[in-house]
Amino acid sequence: MKLSPLSKQIKSCWLVALVLGSSVALSACNSTPAPKIAEVAAVDTGSFSLPQYEQYQLANGLTVYLMPQKEVPLITIDAVVRAGSVNDILGGEARLTAKSLMLGAGGKTKAEIEQAVDFLGASLGSSAGKEGSYLSSDFMAKDLDVMLPIISSVLTSPDFDSKEFTKLKEREIAGLSQAKESPRSVIGRYFDKLIFADHAYGKPSSGNRDGLKKQDISRLKRFYQSYYQPQNTAITVVGDFDKAAMKAKLKQAFGQWEMLSQVSQPNLAVDLPELDRNRVLLVNKGDAIETTFLIGGKGVAYDNADLVGLTVVNTILGGRFTSWLNDELRVNAGLTYGARSAFIPYSKAGVFRISTFTKSDTTEAAIDLALETYSRLWEQGVDQATLDSAKAYVKGQFPPKYETNGQLAGLLTNMYLYGFDDSYINDFQAKVDGLTIAETKRLVSKYFPQDNLQYVLIGNADNIGTVAAKYGTVTQVDIKDIGFDVK
Amino acid sequence: MKRTLSALSLSLGLMFAATAAQATTAEDVKSFTLDNGMKVMVLEDHSIPNANMYLFWKVGSRNEVPGITGISHFFEHMMFNGSNKYGPKMFDRTMEAAGGANNAYTTEDLTVYTDWFPANALETMFDLEADRIANLDINPQMVESERNVVASERTTGLENSNWRALSGPLKGVAFQAHPYSWSVIGHESDIHAWTLDDLVKYHKTYYAPNNAVVVIAGDVQFDNVKKLSEQYFGAIPAQTPPAKVRTVEPEQKGERRLFVEKASVSTPNVMIGYHTPAAKSDDYYALDVLSSILSEGNSSRLYQGLVDKQIALAAQTYMPTSFDPNLFYVFGIASPKVSAETVEKALIEQIDLIAEKGVTQHELDKVKNIKLMNFYRTLETINGKANTIGTYELYFGSYKKLFNAPELYNKVTPADIQRVAKTYLKKSNRTVGVLAAKEEMDK
Repeated sequence: MKLSPLSKQIKSCWLVALVLGSSVALSACNSTPAPKIAEVAAVDTGSFSLPQYEQYQLANGLTVYLMPQKEVPLITIDAVVRAGSVNDILGGEARLTAKSLMLGAGGKTKAEIEQAVDFLGASLGSSAGKEGSYLSSDFMAKDLDVMLPIISSVLTSPDFDSKEFTKLKEREIAGLSQAKESPRSVIGRYFDKLIFADHAYGKPSSGNRDGLKKQDISRLKRFYQSYYQPQNTAITVVGDFDKAAMKAKLKQAFGQWEMLSQVSQPNLAVDLPELDRNRVLLVNKGDAIETTFLIGGKGVAYDNADLVGLTVVNTILGGRFTSWLNDELRVNAGLTYGARSAFIPYSKAGVFRISTFTKSDTTEAAIDLALETYSRLWEQGVDQATLDSAKAYVKGQFPPKYETNGQLAGLLTNMYLYGFDDSYINDFQAKVDGLTIAETKRLVSKYFPQDNLQYVLIGNADNIGTVAAKYGTVTQVDIKDIGFDVK
Repeated sequence: MKRTLSALSLSLGLMFAATAAQATTAEDVKSFTLDNGMKVMVLEDHSIPNANMYLFWKVGSRNEVPGITGISHFFEHMMFNGSNKYGPKMFDRTMEAAGGANNAYTTEDLTVYTDWFPANALETMFDLEADRIANLDINPQMVESERNVVASERTTGLENSNWRALSGPLKGVAFQAHPYSWSVIGHESDIHAWTLDDLVKYHKTYYAPNNAVVVIAGDVQFDNVKKLSEQYFGAIPAQTPPAKVRTVEPEQKGERRLFVEKASVSTPNVMIGYHTPAAKSDDYYALDVLSSILSEGNSSRLYQGLVDKQIALAAQTYMPTSFDPNLFYVFGIASPKVSAETVEKALIEQIDLIAEKGVTQHELDKVKNIKLMNFYRTLETINGKANTIGTYELYFGSYKKLFNAPELYNKVTPADIQRVAKTYLKKSNRTVGVLAAKEEMDK
């Protein structure tokens, strides 16, 4: 493969940024002049718009999105609850609660639910991220009347079976150790902790071992009752169904779900820590044969009006194969298999990060080259030909992101969670076409972190400790230590 | 108007008595063969304004010999590094400026190039591909830089994936003669040893149009694809077909074992490889169904027998689709405080249970539904369609076998599954590998 799994992972993060960008037009940004239309002809990548969908609410406040798609005889039903690790107290509540939905509900045990779902060839799974908890399913259209009651009972009346919960908890705790066997699967958790410290965005969705050990059923029930309520939830249905019949079935399945109380959410816009110096978190992995690292700082929130433009500029820096970072570190220097950069937005903040890896003894060379390449944003800027290419690339790769029922359901889910609408999709091409060289300069100076850079290096500390000290104040931890703390 | 997928699911609708019987026929996939032997298949799909071009080359690590292991994969990288018209870096730059992206992958049997682009960039893709097929410029400087890239790819796989850390050595023990013995990425020393001459010969031998199958799916017109294929690919001369892979792996006559030490592994990983026949074997479908019964979903045998009982944190099976007889992999990650030995016994117990007592019709029906769902999921995207059509063409002899696959899955009976379990998943035919933090010392 040309691109590494890490590159792909980061790429997918970048795509999330792309998908979940602001619905606000660039020209609506108050602080700057409206961008001028580029003077060169835009590459025609074909027209693309979001398929028709309907959004409405049930009497209990549950938001519903319906989007018929007839390409395959399948239906995707997803649910999203506004609750994530930002709502955690001990750590891991959101994730454990989401996982616990599957431990038995509606008179069926965990095993019975799994048997029923598996027999149909269907899927049903749950998870939680920083700001949302998710239930996802897909199945053959003919099985709707079997699957919908299961989905409904799992979401609205889970049993929280204590025996199954004990097993789940043990698997989750062991899973934390397993994850630390792979630097790339945990480095983002260390980085968020470095950027956000004790702010809610610093909490890893997985929790840590100490927190998970203290979790019990009563805590999860409290978490569930606080957030899993119809007025705090959306259901998205995409696929091969009749809209009128589906509306009736959804009303029957979810109409009796009652609001219990007001849902109170943390104010995530406050107490975001300032980054006041270069810092390096050195995570020792004794048997590491390479160094995996991230460099970056604060990024932007989902509702930032400049997110589409930032996506294009980041494409040039580190968002595609011919990006500056990949070209310098991989193609010219042969230091790595892949190098990327990405803005990862949350609802009220975000991070920007450069990511790559290299063998232990080229760690310094790779970091220096990454920094030198990054500095081209200010020292050299973007030229017209590169900008035109990036615009064509971003537009050309956009439609396949919304091809499957699952992708479309995910988009609608995020529209609910982050409050944007279909203008994000439908205006995307025009926004990209409107980006000018002058705009790229403004975006670079305003958003890409230039000072007080934060570094996470996972590798053999004996080999790279001296190198780490070159870039800032070093804090060293061992990857086997509990959690992801910078202490 | 989105084209319905029933074109590709006629047999499924019949065989699985499932939904969506508004079928068209296998003829929706149109194909032609150029005079130089290159076969091109086209599936029009106007659902999004994009298209894909997949080039499947019949060369993989099975075509290598010791000293040049990994060269197929390395060559995959070199195909991006410059040709006559489009010099170094210009393949990617040209494609991206036209709104396209690309990637490639190498397996034990194939090297596959993937181009994803807005449909109106189709001719640019033909021009780019034709240039590197006909006129690749193997630049010594690019070769040296790319060696390090591939070495990094190898290292990062070993650093981050226990599967890779264990499966590579396991293949080396399970295969004593056949080139499936080494990982696709190759041995480290070989990565640093390929010569320019090796690469030039490799290109001439394997990157001949008569050794390729091309699939184009998406918002294209068949007539235009045919015209462009003739214009850009038609003039590239055919070559003498590559030599056949002669080595046949001898029958395994007893269990083999290995141990791999990796200090950061928190609980032991156990992998078992059983020799199984090639994809074209009549037993392929029964083995594939057996694999699903063992490990697909939480109602599967391995989940119920190991994960739910807290012997393992995860357990899975994997059966590659391949040209030559290969391995059926069974993998388990021990729960905390559970030994490798316990996990190994529990995995084998589940397999033996099927060999002794068979499976239920209910389990079999479940897997048939799973296969149908996976089929639909694959065909939800132009990318899935292109990849699947090409894969069937190459592994099963014709893309039309895609339409027969459901019928062949449907023919599988519980007795077939028990028979293949007894025949292949037996002690004398297996290799057991353990990956753990520390190997036990001799007393």
